[in-house]
Amino acid sequence: MSEVLTEFIRALRVADVRVSISESIDAGRTVELVGFDNRQVLKHSLGQVLAKTEEEKLSFDETFDKFFAFDQFKPPPKREDGPGQAKDGEGEGEKSESGQDAPSDGEGEGGADQPMPGQSSGGDGGAPQGAQSGGKPGGKPGGGPVNEGDVRQAGPNAPGGQTLLEMLEAGDAAALQMALAEAARRTQLNRIRLFTQRGMYVRRILEEMGLETLDQAIETAERQGTEAGDARGQEIREMRDGLRAQVRDYVEQQLELYTANAGKRLREEVLSQVRLSNVDHRDAKVIRQLVKKMAKKLIALNSRRKKRTLRGQLDVRKTIRKNIEYDGLLFDIVWKSEKVDRPKVMAICDVSGSVAQYTRFLLMFLYSLSEVLPQVRAFAFSGRLGEVTDLFEKEGIEKAIAETMHVHGGGATDYGMALEDFADLALDDVDHHTTVIMLGDGRSNNANPRADILDKIHDRARRVIWLNPEPKSLWNTGDSVMRSFTPHCDRAQTCASLKDLERVVSELLRTAV
Amino acid sequence: MKPEDEIQAVREGFAKGGYICDKQIATSIFLSRKLGKPILVEGPPGVGKTELAKATAEYLGQELIRLQCYEGVDEAKALYEWKYGKQLLYTQVLKEKLGDLMEGAVGLKQSMDRLHEFDDTFFSTEFLEPRPLLKALWSEKGAVLLIDEIDKSDDEFEAFLLELLSDYQISVPELGTIKAKSTPIVFLTSNNSREIGDALKRRCLHLYIPFPDSKLENDIIKARVPDVEEGLRKQLVAFVQGLRTLELKKHPSVSETIDWARTLVLLHAETLDAELVRDTLNVLLKFQDDIENVDGEINALTTQAQKASA
Repeated sequence: MSEVLTEFIRALRVADVRVSISESIDAGRTVELVGFDNRQVLKHSLGQVLAKTEEEKLSFDETFDKFFAFDQFKPPPKREDGPGQAKDGEGEGEKSESGQDAPSDGEGEGGADQPMPGQSSGGDGGAPQGAQSGGKPGGKPGGGPVNEGDVRQAGPNAPGGQTLLEMLEAGDAAALQMALAEAARRTQLNRIRLFTQRGMYVRRILEEMGLETLDQAIETAERQGTEAGDARGQEIREMRDGLRAQVRDYVEQQLELYTANAGKRLREEVLSQVRLSNVDHRDAKVIRQLVKKMAKKLIALNSRRKKRTLRGQLDVRKTIRKNIEYDGLLFDIVWKSEKVDRPKVMAICDVSGSVAQYTRFLLMFLYSLSEVLPQVRAFAFSGRLGEVTDLFEKEGIEKAIAETMHVHGGGATDYGMALEDFADLALDDVDHHTTVIMLGDGRSNNANPRADILDKIHDRARRVIWLNPEPKSLWNTGDSVMRSFTPHCDRAQTCASLKDLERVVSELLRTAV
Repeated sequence: MKPEDEIQAVREGFAKGGYICDKQIATSIFLSRKLGKPILVEGPPGVGKTELAKATAEYLGQELIRLQCYEGVDEAKALYEWKYGKQLLYTQVLKEKLGDLMEGAVGLKQSMDRLHEFDDTFFSTEFLEPRPLLKALWSEKGAVLLIDEIDKSDDEFEAFLLELLSDYQISVPELGTIKAKSTPIVFLTSNNSREIGDALKRRCLHLYIPFPDSKLENDIIKARVPDVEEGLRKQLVAFVQGLRTLELKKHPSVSETIDWARTLVLLHAETLDAELVRDTLNVLLKFQDDIENVDGEINALTTQAQKASA
């Protein structure tokens, strides 16, 4: 499989597109089939082979456009009168995008600027190769790996006899692009990881391309001591600086391509483990996406309604129906089975200052799961308790949370009062399918916690889970009354980070009956 | 022939059959034929996923074999079944022959050996009732196999399909492995009611068909409802495109646009006006909530559509 493709797949993986080995083999076959000639066909084809969900398609399109970009070395405007080839090179990139016949373009171009490396043997290898190395993948390290051998020498002293200086003077974009790509390949630019490495790579690439010859040329020109010599030196100097800027652009693009997501991933990893109360405001957006991602995973895992076979209980009706074809002889037996129902969830959330942040994310989680948790009722309290289910169903999550905080938040926490209110409101609706989740720190400001009501809830509900953002060591210190609540909970656990939350919710879904 | 020419040929072939598609779709047909891989087609309901399979069958002049998936679909319904009745009948009819067969056999063992020589006759292909998947494998000239709404089937069935999709073969315990006589083109469609397994996705090309843009939709209506005049066509397409930008429970699909175009032709409409739209909106929108929500926007959308066509 070609090197370009391998690199491209690596870039895709960085961009969160999952590509398996078998898919990359398919991609190889696809490229063999359609070739690099037609950008659009290539994009469509690879898109279908490699990206398998809607989101992946978006990432794919973006990466493809970035990876197969060909916009370096726009011919400097002042040279417009001179060489037509530079424009040719540009035109080709565009033309192939518009779906036209690229290979013949390649040939045409090859004719125009003879010294184009790769053309030397591109002739026998077939026109497409020539076009390929000059065309789109030219923007890559190892531009055209197919004719790697030809390109290999395209460095400082190009085999076609064109030096870097000549290329620059001619404004030959295609040749420059290739020289750059080749230099990048040899300096292994694709291993770039950190932005601090930019300078080093820019320098190495320039050296590979033949910076030295430029410097020499400047020196020679200036040593003449004549006015013309100075002007000449200045001219070359300008070209050199222009080249350096272009190389830097290129290096930055590559850095972006290969590491764009690494930073993001690291941040997500960190954020999912950090205590939610310590999450910075500016990270809220990332967390929101993270919650969505986790919720999606859980939905995918639990979207199917599970059945459980009750072995030993004969399903007479189904057995008879199934055995009609055997003349009514009952030898294929069907056991009764029951469908595993989705749990009804009631979340009772403390929205007072200290816990509000956790509530926000718990509710965000629960409501992102509406596909697999269709019946979520949410209650919020600090002093008095109120139901906020309607709010969440009608408004967007963000708005609903803000509204909840506004109406129910702020005020001293009083668990006793809140549980009383809950009993009035919804105790009758708690049945053996219901899972009740309490989220709070169990600090009741020395008021009666009314654990007896929690006991009643426990009796009726399938499960009562208490989530406490505080670490266990802090439970029962100060005004915390966790010790009177915990006996009435099926589980009481610390829940401080997104990871914890995910674990709780996943447990909730898995053991749901 | 160059790939892009072949893709263009597919598009033109489809257009002849009245199926207008973009390059993306044509590319996937081309790839599927060349690589011999099934196509998993996803997209909102009514964008022509099933229609694509029909159009392909027509274009290639092959038989379309369709398997509609639902919860509980199993091998017996998808692959094969033994013709139990026929087996029973044959044993009854052939009972007398049994005497002749056993003639001269001494002892149980010898009779048993004789019987063993014949036991496979009742489990041979004559007694096999082929279901869609087997039919597709047996088809001599190749076939287009459409496995519709794969997301409605169970996980087990999805797993069962893997052998078929990667190797175009299937194992029947009594007969051994059955290989495809000629590789069929397989389409799987999904409405995304649940996530399809990775193993299945890996074996397929993945084609996502979104709602068409206005130009493509225009072409589709032109091909499907030739009676509708150009001015009205542009208006109604612009209106539907406008509807899709609104927040709705279910956006109108291409098939609904086609229905609407037919409705308007029946009503001899020449241009779109708010009154007409209100009367016929139930063709486009299938939820009362949506119809009520859109009501306020109708005037604006209609004017916009009239402008767009001008």
